[in-house]
Amino acid sequence: MAEPILQVNSVTKCFGGLTAVNNVSFEVQQGEIIGLLGPNGAGKTTLFNVISGFYAPTSGTIIFNGKDISGKPPYTLADRGIGRTFQVVKPFAGLTVLENIIIASFLRYPKRKEAERHAWKILENTGLADRADVSAASLTLAGRKRLEIGKALALEPTFLLLDEVVAGLNPTEADKTVELILELKKQGMTILIVEHIMRVIMNISDRLVVLNFGEKIAEGTAAEVARNPLVIEAYLGEAAA
Amino acid sequence: MKDKSIRWGLPILLILIALPAVVQDTFFLRVITEAIMWIGLALAFDVLAGYTGYLNFGHGAFFGLGAYTTAILMMQAHWPFALALPMGGVLAGVGALVAGLPTLRLKGAYFAIATWALSRAVQQLALIMDITGGPDGMRLPSFLNPQFFYYLMLAIVAVTFALLWFLLECSPFGLKLKAIREDDQGAMALGLNPTKLKMQAFILSAVPTGILGGVYAYWITFIDPASTLGDLVSDQALVMVVFGGMGTLVGPVIGALLIFAFKTLFWAYLSDFQLLYLIILGAVIALSVVFIPNGLWGTLRGLRSHKKSEEKKDESLAAKLPQNEGE
Repeated sequence: MAEPILQVNSVTKCFGGLTAVNNVSFEVQQGEIIGLLGPNGAGKTTLFNVISGFYAPTSGTIIFNGKDISGKPPYTLADRGIGRTFQVVKPFAGLTVLENIIIASFLRYPKRKEAERHAWKILENTGLADRADVSAASLTLAGRKRLEIGKALALEPTFLLLDEVVAGLNPTEADKTVELILELKKQGMTILIVEHIMRVIMNISDRLVVLNFGEKIAEGTAAEVARNPLVIEAYLGEAAA
Repeated sequence: MKDKSIRWGLPILLILIALPAVVQDTFFLRVITEAIMWIGLALAFDVLAGYTGYLNFGHGAFFGLGAYTTAILMMQAHWPFALALPMGGVLAGVGALVAGLPTLRLKGAYFAIATWALSRAVQQLALIMDITGGPDGMRLPSFLNPQFFYYLMLAIVAVTFALLWFLLECSPFGLKLKAIREDDQGAMALGLNPTKLKMQAFILSAVPTGILGGVYAYWITFIDPASTLGDLVSDQALVMVVFGGMGTLVGPVIGALLIFAFKTLFWAYLSDFQLLYLIILGAVIALSVVFIPNGLWGTLRGLRSHKKSEEKKDESLAAKLPQNEGE
């Protein structure tokens, strides 16, 4: 098998006495969509923050494109090709949608004019072009989640971390976002996605990694994971397993 | 945008250049010179406060640092003013670098408190050191040429305005600072290094302030810790920026002009009630935060763009209406 684009090697992250992520390992291959599953508080977002550089792992390493990136700051990782969205969206509320995307475009296009041109392309692709001049604060939740994806894409990443970009959207909006994700996959993007909505994650992921209480309890295709007694126990309780 | 700024900026600059020819009254020229200085101080304050989202209550310390550096180099080292002045700016910049390393990690009120405390410490230092003359302050050789100081102040503030216009409104730097103001975590994920950008903004804010302090020292010919290192410089700059409109370059200019005009009139007619001035200053900032949070300029601009979008809506409605009739 080819060298994986991302290797998570026995990563542990503790906050004081709380172990949020405990000895988790998995690999992501080029062009794959990996779904990260788990009940609330399982450590998914913490793991995201470790991979994207917001937290340094307490122990373990993260290898991206063959290089150790553990503990590197987020802005270095963005430059190396990791784009991410936030579960709690982080729009630059006082700025317009276009300005939001332009800021993200500066990473690859340092000149204002080129960044603006690139931003318009992203706005077209994410369906935000008609909202370009409104302030990001006035977007609906669906719009803000689109903006999150747009900003991450403006970085021209090779690896995309999506943290609950579908949750909270109505079915039509959700379908649109799924379409966008599948389109990205077609273009060869590698994606790690956290999502609570099973219909979505089961359908778009090539493989799933399931966390519970910070530990990896299962890994495999959707069908394999759905049959796994540990996963059923985590979601439905011991009696169901 | 650029054409507009030239259309407005050039005539104003020409009027200001011609002003000393018309205004023969030295008192009045002095007042205008100080008004220009305050415009510069408010603009520099806004780099950090409005664009980056950090209220620097130590702004006055940079002013004092520039003033004392210029004064000490001229009096003790016998440097010419032309060399001592830039050093005032350099030292203020170095001061920002040193002060920024610990304080720029803080946010909101904590940054305000830390910078306030640091500026108090600098004032205490100036009070006890020999080289600064302690509480007695320093006297500089008097150079009685109001026109010279008017033009010098004007040149420095005009260059500062042009530089800030280019960096904050035209180049990517301004947008990057705003991104950090809005959400530094989100900015980090987009490849921006908040620590570096904040430091650059801090230095950009400090250097012109230090240079203005140096000019002030030579102009007024007397500086002491109370006048150049006191709270008043930071407080007044803050009120000017908040009242005029944070995060814009026009706002601080309007705010500085109005507040300074008020101060001058107050001092001229009600100088027995100096305490009242500070009370009014406090009330102005409280009221403007509550009623015009975007400042005068921000509110005006908001009204105008609101009107424009209303008109646009009407137009698009008008464009749709006949079609509907046709159907």
